[in-house]
Amino acid sequence: MSCADETSLGARRGIGRALLADPMGLAGLVIVVLFLSMAVFAPWIAPYDPIALDVKAKFQTPSAAHWAGTDHLGRDLLSRIIWGARLALGIAITSVGIAGGLGLILGLVAGYGPRWLDGLLVLVFDSMSSLPMIFFALAVITVLGPGTATLILVIVLVSFPAYARLIRTQTLALAGADFILAERVMGAGTARILLRHLLPNVTGPLVILLCMDIPVVIMLEAGLSYLNLGVKPPAPSWGNMLSEGYNALRQAPHVVVVAGIPLVLATLGFTFLGEGLRDVLDPRGAGRRWG
Amino acid sequence: MTAVLDLRALSVDLPLGGFLTRARLPILCDVSLSVGRGESVALVGESGSGKTTLARAVMGLTPISGGSVFFEGQRVDGDLARLRRNAAMMFQDATASLSPRLTVGYLVTEPFRIHGLPLPDPAATARDLLARVGLPPAIARRYPHELSGGQARRVGVARALALDPRLVVADEPTAGLDVSVQAEVLNLMHDLRAGMGLAYLVITHNLALVRHVADRVVVLYLGRVVEEGPTARIFAAPAHPYTASLIAAEPKPDPRRRRADLAIRGEVPSVLRRPAGCEFHTRCPLVRDLCRSTPPDLVPVGDGRQARCHFADQRQDKQGERHAVDHR
Repeated sequence: MSCADETSLGARRGIGRALLADPMGLAGLVIVVLFLSMAVFAPWIAPYDPIALDVKAKFQTPSAAHWAGTDHLGRDLLSRIIWGARLALGIAITSVGIAGGLGLILGLVAGYGPRWLDGLLVLVFDSMSSLPMIFFALAVITVLGPGTATLILVIVLVSFPAYARLIRTQTLALAGADFILAERVMGAGTARILLRHLLPNVTGPLVILLCMDIPVVIMLEAGLSYLNLGVKPPAPSWGNMLSEGYNALRQAPHVVVVAGIPLVLATLGFTFLGEGLRDVLDPRGAGRRWG
Repeated sequence: MTAVLDLRALSVDLPLGGFLTRARLPILCDVSLSVGRGESVALVGESGSGKTTLARAVMGLTPISGGSVFFEGQRVDGDLARLRRNAAMMFQDATASLSPRLTVGYLVTEPFRIHGLPLPDPAATARDLLARVGLPPAIARRYPHELSGGQARRVGVARALALDPRLVVADEPTAGLDVSVQAEVLNLMHDLRAGMGLAYLVITHNLALVRHVADRVVVLYLGRVVEEGPTARIFAAPAHPYTASLIAAEPKPDPRRRRADLAIRGEVPSVLRRPAGCEFHTRCPLVRDLCRSTPPDLVPVGDGRQARCHFADQRQDKQGERHAVDHR
C-alpha cells in the first residue's frame, strides 16, 4: 500500500513520557535497557571468553580479576552472565516475537474471517492450550532432541494460542464498529480493513502481554536448561549455570547466587515494564497499583 | 430519467438464533421507494421501524432476502463496487465512524486510495475537501478523538463527498449535535446539494429536519411503508393515522395547538409478534373492526401520495374540512 505519506501509528503521543513518570515503569525500562545492551554488546564488554577453561582458577570468589568469581571449570562468571543475557533474551524475544506474529495473524483471520474458519481456528487454539505446558515441552524435546531451535519451537507452540485468542476477541469486538462499517461502505477491501484499520487498533494489549510473557519464557528456558533439556551445556545459559552451581553448592555457593541474580532482575524488569505499559496504554484496566 | 436509487419490494430478514431452527425474523417487508436525481427523500419512523436496517441493506452491509436494489438503473447484485464508488453514507455517530488511529487528512482522502484513483498531492486534496465543509486545513493533522461532534460530522461529510457521489445516505445526520451546529450541518448539506446535484436519502425521526431538507417523505412502521408522498402535502394533511400521530407528537411552540385526540398510545409492538390485520391497529386512535382482521394495502390517495390505511380516503376529506375551518 502506498500510504507512506501519513503516519498511522503514533496517535498516542507521550507514551514514553508517561512511562518515565511511573517509578515502576521507569525501573523496568532501565533494567530492560541494561540487559538488552548486555546482550547486544556482549563480545565487547565481557572481560573473558565465556567458555574458555582455566581449571587452575576454579571456584574463585569475586575478586578484582573476576568480578563475579569463577565456576567449577574456572570460567569467568561475569562473562558467562553477559553472554547468557544474549542467549536468554535472544531466545525469549525470538520465540515471543514469532508467537506474537503468529497469534496476530491467526487472531485477525479468526476474528474477521468467515464463521467456519473462526470455529476451526478456535478449536486449534483451545486444543493447543489444553496441553499441559511442561509435559508438552518434554514430549517435543524428546522427539526432536534438546537444543535452541527445539526450545523456540516449543515456546511458540505453547504460547501463540493465548495471543491469537486475545487478538481474535479484540477483532470481533471491532468488526461491527461503525468505522469498520464505514470503511466497507466506502468499498475498502478486506486487506485494507485488516491491515490499516483493525491491526493498529488491536496491537496495544498484545504488546503488553508479550512484554509480560518474556520473563515467563526466560524462566522456562532457564528451567529446561537446568534440567539439561534446553541449551546444550558449554553455552552460557543462566539455567546451565544454575545447574552447575547447584552441583557445587557446598564448595562454592556464590555460583548459584551469581547465576540467580540476572534471572531475578530480568524477570522483574520485563514484568515492571509490562505493567507500566499496561497502565500507560490502557488506563481503564486494573487501576493504579499505588492506591 | 432513471432514479438514482430504486428499491423494489425490498425485504430483509434476520435469522433468529435458534439451534437447528431456520426461523427468520422479518425486519423490512416489501419496501419500495425511489430517490430521483438531486432529490432529497426522508425516511421517518420510530426506533425499531427498520430505518437503519434499510440504510445498511441499501449499502450492502446487511444481506437482503427479497426484492432488489437498483442504482442508476442497474441492479446491484453481489457486485457492490459501482454503488460504493458513487454512493456514500453518513453514519449516525460521526466520531465512531472515523478510524481512530488515522489522521483526518488520511481519512478524508481514503476514498481515492480505496478506489485506486490518482491522488498526486494528498495534503492539497485533503485541504480542498476540508475547505468544502468549512474546516481549516490544520484539522488534517488531528485524530478523530481530538474533534468536536460538529467537526467530526463535517469530516464525515467531507469524506462522503470526496468522490463526488450521486447519492448520500445520511443516518440521523443531526443526532447528538446541539441546535446551532445542527443548523450549520443542514445548511451545508443543502448548499452541497444545490451545487452538486446530489440526491439524499435521509433517515431520521426528527420531523423538523424532514421539513427542512426533504422533498418527499416515506413513513415506515414495523418495516413497512405506511405512507409516502411530497413533504408539504403530508405535513399539511397526513393520510395515515400513524403519520398524523407522529406529527401531533412533535413539540409545538404553542402547546395549546397540540392535538390530544391524535396522541399515540403505547409502545411499538414487537416484530416477533406482529399484530394481525393492520399492524397499526393496536395503537390507532381511529381503529375499527375491519382493521383488526384485514391488512390494508398501500394505495394511492391522490396528490402523488400513497397510504396503507382502509380509511385514508374518508379521512382525507375530513381533514380537508378541518383545515378549512382552521384557516377561517
